[in-house]
Amino acid sequence: MLNIFKKSAIAGAMILSAGAALAEYPEKPIEVIVGYSAGGGTDVMARTAAPFIEKYLGDGASLVVKNMPGASGQIGVTEAANADPDGYTLGTFNLPGMMARTIDREAGYDRDSFTYLANVVNDPNVIVTSKESGLDTLDKLLEEAKANPLAVTVGMSSLGGDDHFALIKLQQATDTEYTIVPFKGSAPARTALLGGHVAMGILNISEVAEFQDQLNVLGVATNERSQFAPDLPTFKEQGLDLVNGSMRGFIAPAGLPEDVQAKLIDAFSQLSDDQEFLDAMAATANPIEVVTGEEFKQLTSDLYDLANSVWQTTPWN
Amino acid sequence: MYSDLLHALPDVFAWTNFAAVVIGVIAGIVVGAMPGLSATMAISVLVPFTFGLEPLVALGLMAGIYNGAMYGGAIPAVLLRIPGTPAAVATTFDGYPMAQKGEGGFALQVAVVSSSIGGIASAFALMLLAPPLSKVTLLFGPSEVFWVAVFGLASIIFLLGGNPIKGLISACFGVFVSVIGSDPIYGNDRFTFGQLEMLDGINIVILLVGLYALPPVIDLLETPLKTDGVNSSKLGTEPIWKALPRMNYWKTWLRGSFLGIWIGILPGAGGSMAAFMSYNEARRTSKHPETWGEGEPEGVAAAEVANNADTASALIPALTLGIPGTAVAAVMLGGLLVHGLQPGPMLFRDNPDIVFGFMWQFLFGAILLVLLGGSLATNSFARLLNLPRPLLGSVIIVLMLIGVYSIHGRMFDVYLMLGFGAIGWVMDRLKFPLPPVVLGLILGGFAEENLRLALRIGRGDPLVLFQNTTSLILVALTVAVVVGPTLKKRFIDSRKKA
Repeated sequence: MLNIFKKSAIAGAMILSAGAALAEYPEKPIEVIVGYSAGGGTDVMARTAAPFIEKYLGDGASLVVKNMPGASGQIGVTEAANADPDGYTLGTFNLPGMMARTIDREAGYDRDSFTYLANVVNDPNVIVTSKESGLDTLDKLLEEAKANPLAVTVGMSSLGGDDHFALIKLQQATDTEYTIVPFKGSAPARTALLGGHVAMGILNISEVAEFQDQLNVLGVATNERSQFAPDLPTFKEQGLDLVNGSMRGFIAPAGLPEDVQAKLIDAFSQLSDDQEFLDAMAATANPIEVVTGEEFKQLTSDLYDLANSVWQTTPWN
Repeated sequence: MYSDLLHALPDVFAWTNFAAVVIGVIAGIVVGAMPGLSATMAISVLVPFTFGLEPLVALGLMAGIYNGAMYGGAIPAVLLRIPGTPAAVATTFDGYPMAQKGEGGFALQVAVVSSSIGGIASAFALMLLAPPLSKVTLLFGPSEVFWVAVFGLASIIFLLGGNPIKGLISACFGVFVSVIGSDPIYGNDRFTFGQLEMLDGINIVILLVGLYALPPVIDLLETPLKTDGVNSSKLGTEPIWKALPRMNYWKTWLRGSFLGIWIGILPGAGGSMAAFMSYNEARRTSKHPETWGEGEPEGVAAAEVANNADTASALIPALTLGIPGTAVAAVMLGGLLVHGLQPGPMLFRDNPDIVFGFMWQFLFGAILLVLLGGSLATNSFARLLNLPRPLLGSVIIVLMLIGVYSIHGRMFDVYLMLGFGAIGWVMDRLKFPLPPVVLGLILGGFAEENLRLALRIGRGDPLVLFQNTTSLILVALTVAVVVGPTLKKRFIDSRKKA
């Protein structure tokens, strides 16, 4: 008798708690794993977005950012992929880097390891040249590259990143060849450009916005002019079909309960209309492009296919 | 620009902002004095908290910690021969012999005054000369940076200590350690044995703590019952104003400040190279070089003035170009980004009050060092030495373990540190110099990465390394360092014969 009573009590408690979880997500703090150290671009995005996500989740939701730096973000994203899919562990996600790493080395995750919540930042690539190079228009650059294959040196951050993919797209679209000089990060590449040690550079728009007077910015790899620097022309305007950028967003482990996923995606999708959020991101040099759920998943898949096809023809290590 | 500088001053004296600098300096000294804890670590722990702080409170804390830690590293270097930070390695050369002679108190006072002078000089360079000095940084492309690294390595091998062969072997070990991790260009794993923990290479703090802290601790524990040696009753402390007239190191201070500022604005090298260079130069020009290494206070002055003189100047390329001169400056850059301060030429125009306020905080941090550092070191840290030796040794081991564990929060690093400790102990016994290992790790990675970038720019032609004046000057200096001592010896020998 007591036994039956016990069992039903436990069953009742389980139903209750399950019901509570469904009704009241989030009922405890949500951890956001950032694969880079505090103060980096991805970290700043996560910390800037966190209070707004808390606001849209409502009910006193709380997001806690946890930095797990190392191995170009690999350690953090692997941790997020392997976490319990209960909605209490999210992670940041960088494209195309996170997908490129599944191709150029053994990774502890693949594109099906995640529930795709939202991409938030899209920092488009730009092509710049040093003042000393004299290549101050796109036409002059392409002319030089055609006349002397491999003579133009290109400073950029590491191989297998967005800069590299932008260069490969440029090479394929214009049938030109360049000598790649991969620095450790964009700032050293930009400094080498300022000092005239390399002729051309592929960077991101947020990285050159402050240096427009010291460098020739030849074009932006977007479909339409970036809100971030509306004075700079796109490549499309100049007759070159080149669209590429560095993206940062949020994922959760695969297999998230549907209602939790819906609630999170709903919260993220409200970011793009929040002027306060847009201002905060502009202040930290983060161009916004919010893409949620299925669309984000498709975007990741497309980038994976691109990276994979590049890897098949020209592996970068 | 100079009116902006003055305009920023009142904000700096708002009490919260000023208190932040004071707290930062004290915290920095404590952190620097603990083997295994570094300014880089303290500031990276701080950065997430600064999201909620006013910019000048956050930046004041950072400026204070940076200044404090660069001096704090000298405290265990003098008292125990354990450098608290990589930059304090050169401080052990004469600081520890002084402590053994019963002049530890004076050594600490020389260290604090020199640190402060270096910090003040550096802050002025940052305030007044940042834009022109950032142009100097631009002269240094991959091939020039490669030669800076080679020059640094050559100096440490050939100028320091009596045996260049042993120095070379030590440096090679350091360079080998720098090779571990991802290849800088292609990203292939090298000597990682499939360990994800080793992909980013070996953190300098792990190597430093292992090599430098473990052997002296073993020494401490080997002679537990001896009561001689250092203790604070023998520190020979006198008030700092009485000690000041004994410090007549103007030339060394001037030269050390200049070297520190100069090395600070070059990418990568940082405080440890500055301290070694300054020490070498001061010894070379000394009238009595034979007393160096046996407790020459000027040696402490040379090392400490230079390792503080690169603090603010390392921020010049960080603020103007976004490339930090040192690991600490890299973390601070993150702290600036958090507050929406984007490095670049516009920074000074867009946020003058914050940027110039930050520079003032550097200056006041350096000045406060004398007031806070002197008494803190002699009154509290030095008393640690009164502890029974087994207890003192155990306390240091615990600090080392905590410090190394807290870098990434993993035991792997602790085991690595203990492994380096064993190597360090053997090297110490066999009289292999340890400083070249530290510089080998710091400069080896730079040399490799920049050599490969330069060769790519030259499309494989090695002549690219000799194509401009800056490179050629550095090559000439390197050659002078390598063959200079031998030539000088021959010259003296032939004069003797004649």
